Amino acid sequence: MMENRSDKKIIEITGVTKRFGSFVAVCDLNLDLYQGEFFSLLGPSGCGKTTALRIIAGFQDPDKGEIVIDGKSMRDVSANKRPTNMVFQSYAIFPHLNVGNNVAFGLRKSGISRSEIDDRVSEALEMVELDGLEKRSAEELSGGQRQRVALARALVLRPKVLLLDEPLSALDKKLRETMQLELRRLQRSIGITFVMVTHDQYEAMTMSDRIGVMFDGKLEQIDRPEDLYARPCSKDVASFIGGMNFLPASLKEESGNVLDISTPGFGDMRIEINSNVSKHGPKLLTGIRPEQLEISAKKPSDYDAMAQGKVVDVAFYGESIHYFVGLDGIDEPITVAVPNYFHTMDYQRGDTVWLGVQNASVIDLGEIPDNMKD
Amino acid sequence: MAIQLKSEASKGMALSAPATLYVGLLVAVPLGILIVYSFWTQSYVDIDRTLTWANYIEAFQDPLVRHLIVRTIIIAGLVTIATVVLAYPIAYFIAFRTKKQTLWLLLITIPFWSSYLLRVFSWKLILGFNGVLNSALMTIGIINEPLTFLLYNEIAVVLTLAHAWAPFAILPIYVSLQKIDRSLHEAATDLGCNMYQAFIRVTLPLTVPGIIAASLIIFIPTVGDYVTPALVGGSEGKMIANLIQVQFGAANNWPMGATLSLLSMLSVGFVAMLAVFTMNTAGRRIR
Ligand SMILES: Nc1ncnc2c1ncn2[C@@H]1O[C@H](COP(=O)(O)OP(=O)(O)O)[C@@H](O)[C@H]1O
Ligand SMILES: [Mg+2]
Repeated sequence: MMENRSDKKIIEITGVTKRFGSFVAVCDLNLDLYQGEFFSLLGPSGCGKTTALRIIAGFQDPDKGEIVIDGKSMRDVSANKRPTNMVFQSYAIFPHLNVGNNVAFGLRKSGISRSEIDDRVSEALEMVELDGLEKRSAEELSGGQRQRVALARALVLRPKVLLLDEPLSALDKKLRETMQLELRRLQRSIGITFVMVTHDQYEAMTMSDRIGVMFDGKLEQIDRPEDLYARPCSKDVASFIGGMNFLPASLKEESGNVLDISTPGFGDMRIEINSNVSKHGPKLLTGIRPEQLEISAKKPSDYDAMAQGKVVDVAFYGESIHYFVGLDGIDEPITVAVPNYFHTMDYQRGDTVWLGVQNASVIDLGEIPDNMKD
Repeated sequence: MAIQLKSEASKGMALSAPATLYVGLLVAVPLGILIVYSFWTQSYVDIDRTLTWANYIEAFQDPLVRHLIVRTIIIAGLVTIATVVLAYPIAYFIAFRTKKQTLWLLLITIPFWSSYLLRVFSWKLILGFNGVLNSALMTIGIINEPLTFLLYNEIAVVLTLAHAWAPFAILPIYVSLQKIDRSLHEAATDLGCNMYQAFIRVTLPLTVPGIIAASLIIFIPTVGDYVTPALVGGSEGKMIANLIQVQFGAANNWPMGATLSLLSMLSVGFVAMLAVFTMNTAGRRIR
């Protein structure tokens, strides 16, 4: 993937903690963001993403920790003086102002001439493809247009960092997908650092240079989307991003960066150590992505590991078909995703099938979590 | 479809009929009577029922009437401004600064638990020559002799009415504040406003409808009030309603009373419309 970030740190967050009463919303957050990158904070709803974003914006003070933006500590800098701007989840378009005045809102202060304001407003509106709509009243805007106005209103101030709180969640699916690409393109062309909060893993993956995955106020893993997908650091991250079949295994031998393991169903395998995982033990958890499994009626010959099972269910997704295959010795059926090549569903419920997988597709997820030990 | 529409229309009419009837009987009919009366004249104890502009001409030529109407509008305007200015911070506090909103809304209605007359009288006790305020000020030695400018003038009227109307202003302003999306205030801050600027540029213009509602609710009944000016206004604080009351009472000149009522209604309507227009325009000019 092409990267457009530089090595210059634009935001340095160290040890930021925020409590509401006894509830810890953000716990010891450490994060460096680079000039020009598109960073996403990804996590389930209620995990503290918005709180983290609001702390960066200055709407909330952290109980502990420090935020440095562009080399300057934000400790005593109030929200209205910070070099950040925000696109709110509700967009927060001023209902009493028209589009032009909404966008001009932050520019109307001493030192900026009327004609410069007008120029910058129309430039910003052009950037979000709303040129000429200055006089349109805020109440007449569609959801997508409101989003663009919010974006223009923030970007017109040329912030060092743009903060976006679930900017696309209020849009319908089709528009959301268009806007994902558009927002990404816009970010690349202007080169401003974007920090986006989202609970949508696909959104985070398609748009971001890097993703931080958050659970219960803690940042679990920070990585590029493709690394996050290939080497999640824990079961939580693995199951939150993409589909994943979990397979418990016992460790037979560890040598160099390979593990010899034995699994129920697929038998013995030799897999690579996942560098993001901190702890290994005699009982391991491994994961296999559904699209990396092969399904066939006959026993395949060119796979490192194979297993025979029965199709217990089939789900049709249009572009792919998911087969759920029960294996002896494994409680949960294994999900296999097959691209819909020829508009055919080759296996039915009850069919006996073979599954094949390569060692390289099996992800080491470290020591098995306590709640999966039996 | 058309049949259904028709039946829906008739259903709507049936539902609103009691209200229409009520308004018709209690507003339109009395107003009609008032208009008719204003074109009659009083001749001693009888009423001359020939239609004439005589009352209007007399009212226009009488400097007292003009003076009273102008003074009434000024006093009512002052009462309105004082009440709204006092009510706004209270409404703001209830809307944004407390979690016990119901309790506070209940508390501000407490004055209503006693009669209007009692409240006016208690202001008389507070502001009077030997009143609470004067005694207190003299006791702590700020003044040596009682202040006389407290009672029996416009100030007393404004003070008394501002207190009496406060809940009527607090409620509509509270409702309009309550409706404002909190994130708008944050957006203003994010875009560089300090608290004061965010209030002026976002909160205030969004509460203009509440301010207008509060102003009308206060301004219009104040113009028609004659009890407060009679009790605490002295001669300086007399208002047009006092003169109207005299026409219907001691002077026994109902046609003139009707004429003065209509004239004050018209001037109030005109001033109120002007004020609404001004406030709306001012609200829209803030950007
Ligand atoms: N002002 C607040 N007071 C009390 N609790 C809050 C406040 N803001 C957020 N929380 C709590 O903190 C947790 C994280 O909230 P938030 O950051 O909004 O999550 P997310 O954006 O990831 O959905 C939630 O459980 C929420 O209820
Ligand atoms: Mg959120």
